[in-house]
Amino acid sequence: MDRPELVAGVDRVWARPVVLAPVFALAALVGGALPSFSLRANLLVLGAGGALLWLGMSATLPKRPAPARLPRASAWWLLPIGIFAVVEGVTFLIGSREYPTLSRLADPLLEHYPARAAAYFGWLWVFWAMVRR
Amino acid sequence: MTLAQVGIAAAFAVALGLFAAVEIAARREGSRVPTLGEVCGVVMRYRVGPLPVGRIAMFGFWWWLGWHFLAR
Repeated sequence: MDRPELVAGVDRVWARPVVLAPVFALAALVGGALPSFSLRANLLVLGAGGALLWLGMSATLPKRPAPARLPRASAWWLLPIGIFAVVEGVTFLIGSREYPTLSRLADPLLEHYPARAAAYFGWLWVFWAMVRR
Repeated sequence: MTLAQVGIAAAFAVALGLFAAVEIAARREGSRVPTLGEVCGVVMRYRVGPLPVGRIAMFGFWWWLGWHFLAR
């Protein structure tokens, strides 16, 4: 496929990865330490997500041009999406601990600080990648 | 973990592995498969009149996902 993102506009200084990576890392280190169901954890996710949502909906930053339409080969993406959707859907409908959903499987992992902080960083980074699209 | 739980975890692992495999295939030189970012870019460009439905849906989903896994 053509890669139109190579002609994206010039970034503002604060929007460059070298600036954002430490900011996201700091937020992840703080967010990873906050316990589930706490007010602070909710406020941080809602605040960070809200700020990124606002940036994504505004014209503040140049967006990477998307392809005009998807080629037929895009159908390959239906394979992982379909398997994931079926497994998640079936386990959600069964609704028992014997057949856990992804979030139930992830809960024990996310109780550990390094995993929770890494997940936080990944969430912010993907959110940022979507803001630029 | 019970056998059923191991099976479910393995099914999720297969799905996530396939996400990685398709992404790697998409990034190969001359590939006709778009990257996941390009697919998301097309979805996010979907509008209904003046309303950027694709962007709202993708941001809303990702925001909810972060709240679901990291705040609750």
